[in-house]
Amino acid sequence: MAFQDSAYDQDRSMHNNSHLQGSNQENTEMKSKHVSFKPSRDFHTNDYSNNYIHGNSLPQQHVTNIENRVDGYPKLQKLFQAKAKQINQFATTPFGCKIGIDSIVPTLNHWIQNENLTFDVVMIGCLTENQFIYPILTQLPLDKLISKPGFLFIWANSQKINELTKLLNNEIWAKKFRRSEELVFVPIDKKSPFYPGLDQDDETLMEKMQWHCWMCITGTVRRSTDGHLIHCNVDTDLSIETEDTTNGAVPSHLYRIAENFSTATRRLHIIPARTGYETPVRVRPGWVIVSPDVMLDNFSPKRYKEEIANLGSNIPLKNEIELLRPRSPVQKAQ
Amino acid sequence: MINDKLVHFLIQNYDDILRAPLSGQLKDVYSLYVSGDYEGCAYDLGDGRKNLLQFEQFWNDLRDIVLVTPKSIQFEQNLLVAERPEKIVFLDVFSLKILYNKFHPLYYASKLPCSSSDVDTSSLAAAETDFKGSHLLGRLLNVLNWDENVSNQGLPREQLSNRLQTLLREKPSSFQLAKERARHTTKVIEYIPICSDYLHASLLSSSVYIVNNKIVSLQWSKISACQESHSGFIECIQSKIHFIPNIKPQTDISLGDCSYLDTCHKLNTCRYVHYLQYIPSCLQEQADHSTESHNEEIESNVPIPFYTLGNCSAHSIKKALPAQWIRCDVRKFDFKILGKFSVVIADPAWNIHMNLPYGTCNDIELLGLPLHELQDEGIIFLWVTGRAIELGKESLDNWGYKVINEVSWIKTNQLGRTIVTGRTGHWLNHSKEHLLVGLKGNPKWINKHIDIDLIVSMTRETSRKPDELYGIAERMAGTHARKLEIFGRDHNTRPGWFTIGNQLTANCIYEMDVERKYQEFMKEKSKNGGTNSSSKKIDKKSNSKFQQQQQQRQQQQYWNMNNNKYYMENKQNTMDKKQSSFESKQPQQQFQTLNNLYFAQ
Repeated sequence: MAFQDSAYDQDRSMHNNSHLQGSNQENTEMKSKHVSFKPSRDFHTNDYSNNYIHGNSLPQQHVTNIENRVDGYPKLQKLFQAKAKQINQFATTPFGCKIGIDSIVPTLNHWIQNENLTFDVVMIGCLTENQFIYPILTQLPLDKLISKPGFLFIWANSQKINELTKLLNNEIWAKKFRRSEELVFVPIDKKSPFYPGLDQDDETLMEKMQWHCWMCITGTVRRSTDGHLIHCNVDTDLSIETEDTTNGAVPSHLYRIAENFSTATRRLHIIPARTGYETPVRVRPGWVIVSPDVMLDNFSPKRYKEEIANLGSNIPLKNEIELLRPRSPVQKAQ
Repeated sequence: MINDKLVHFLIQNYDDILRAPLSGQLKDVYSLYVSGDYEGCAYDLGDGRKNLLQFEQFWNDLRDIVLVTPKSIQFEQNLLVAERPEKIVFLDVFSLKILYNKFHPLYYASKLPCSSSDVDTSSLAAAETDFKGSHLLGRLLNVLNWDENVSNQGLPREQLSNRLQTLLREKPSSFQLAKERARHTTKVIEYIPICSDYLHASLLSSSVYIVNNKIVSLQWSKISACQESHSGFIECIQSKIHFIPNIKPQTDISLGDCSYLDTCHKLNTCRYVHYLQYIPSCLQEQADHSTESHNEEIESNVPIPFYTLGNCSAHSIKKALPAQWIRCDVRKFDFKILGKFSVVIADPAWNIHMNLPYGTCNDIELLGLPLHELQDEGIIFLWVTGRAIELGKESLDNWGYKVINEVSWIKTNQLGRTIVTGRTGHWLNHSKEHLLVGLKGNPKWINKHIDIDLIVSMTRETSRKPDELYGIAERMAGTHARKLEIFGRDHNTRPGWFTIGNQLTANCIYEMDVERKYQEFMKEKSKNGGTNSSSKKIDKKSNSKFQQQQQQRQQQQYWNMNNNKYYMENKQNTMDKKQSSFESKQPQQQFQTLNNLYFAQ
């Protein structure tokens, strides 16, 4: 009954309207009178895979919160802003260390042994093919390079991550570095600089549209009690390329996930690949970037240690962020 | 000093030089150059007479050109005559033109049609001057800020690399054809875009009547008023899905959206914003209609696709099998009953304990499943979560599969946004799930690269996976291929697919041989299970279909009882308080020992 009434209402209001409005309006109304604005009863969902087959667009382009992931969540928006601001405030000078792939291991060994440098967040790899990750992982005393607790992110294509699985799953490795999350980065379309085009071999059954990251934790951190070290559940395990993503080997999303998760200020990024001119390696405040193609070559262990001493090795707690960030429910004492 | 005239000559005549009858013979090229009275073929002696260029000099000039622009002229490698090659095998006209432009700026720029394969020398020249004009820092920054369009027309080296990349990216025609065929044969599923204009939602929210969390009607007067201030509003309503905030007395807009949206259990008290989907019925009808007509067209085209690779030979006349399913405990089911499949989907309930380094009871049982029996060659899709990613890869390896792809299911909510809240993961929130794609053997019938390794779709009931996967699998293996889903539930059964799982309702088998083997299996089971009234009934043979069904149902009940008991025991971890009278002792004992193992761990 209610439905009929309101349908009548609608009709009447349309009628009234035509009296009030000019003749021009009447014309459009005459047209729209034929079409019904009654809400349809069924819930509709789209099949974007099917839609892609019929040549329209890639499924990921239909995600509605690509540009602003926390769209609709004002609290999270505030949190992201507050965190970005604080991370920026407690960031070292952007450092680059431009060395050939072969000298990466000796240089880092030198840092560990002679300079006593350790890092809390270490990222290895970027979004290109032909990376020499395996030699880095096997030759480098990573457990000495990364402090405890520490966080390791390895970015590569999924095939490569698969190949590394055997190494990372062996007992010695698995004990030191607990695999915690698998992150994914998705380019927005096939024209994207991050589209893994040449990675496509004829073997694969589906076109590849993603990069993977293996996130490991070493040492012990607890989600509920170590809020000064880690902020859990701030970011998600999925990043989609945004419009402002600049061309390069490393989209800022990759850095941001690590920065939002760990409060540590000592962050190292090793890129064991020649990325070339088309995919430049930019520098980023708060990070030491070791790569044969990084734009700057300004790293000096002494200066770095001084800066860290001034900043502190962790970003301090801030009330605003503590109030906003998602936390584990407090367990009741038994 | 470069003989620019010679460069010009080479550019102008490169085709003739390389082709028969000259075929790049240096001596002959020299003769042509000299006899053709080209510019630069002679030099002034100072007294008005001209002396012809000697061959030696000609050769030196060529070498100079090569020195300045490496690889612009390539000679045949002749190891026997070391001093001088005899043949030019390749002339890089692009590089030569650039070289010539150095002497005569923009000479070729004005004359060249700027086709995509040619070097756009004007932009190159511009870039060159830019380079000279600015400081190192400026240059560095400029280099990075070049957008793709410019760099495409950049240096010839880069252009070549771009061309190489496009060549390498070129797909085999089998991919292209399969994709095209898929486009012409896959039924269209209704698609309505979602409006991304926030304003529209808020405009609509002020002009709808919502009763009992349902949109009842719209106030036309307000809508047409809005149309005046926002042109295109009505068109948008008529063509896109809108999500209208469902504002209630308790709603506090400043809190933002509810994490659960349409799946929120406290819809009548939750203070966060919820939404209602609004599609005018005219749009729905229109979409229905166009989809239907499109599908009719597709159906009328189906009989003979000219590209037949990967299709079944009787593609046009063979009808797809209806949905089939067997309710069973997968862990104790004999997979030999089912025969072989082209595609297998498995969504096991991985039982992951974060504190154990390795899988728990269920995982080891899963690993022990004889999945290797299901396919000689084919594809398997295995849903995995968290720690099971590794376990899944290992299992696939054990079953003889190679992990060939990893699909990510990007989970979206009612509004088409990725899931970013609600502590869905331990360290980070989880917005996606993983699906491993394993390949066994080297099947020739697979259609590759039709779909991409992403699924974007809405979450539904807990652990229910997106239906998009069925479409993807069908496109890959063909609609007639035998396809199996393990650990399926009632909502998973669908035409062309065989589903097994313990949560299904009853059985439904159409394939005769499967039916026969299944009956035999059940008979065997009941024999082992000792004497029981229900098992006796199965032994009776009857020709009437109805009676057969009856039998099946009873069988089913018996089977269910069995299963339930089994599960109960499993759940409570009671060892052997009650011996199931139907079960043979052996499997139970095995299970116990397994169980004991876990406790030992």
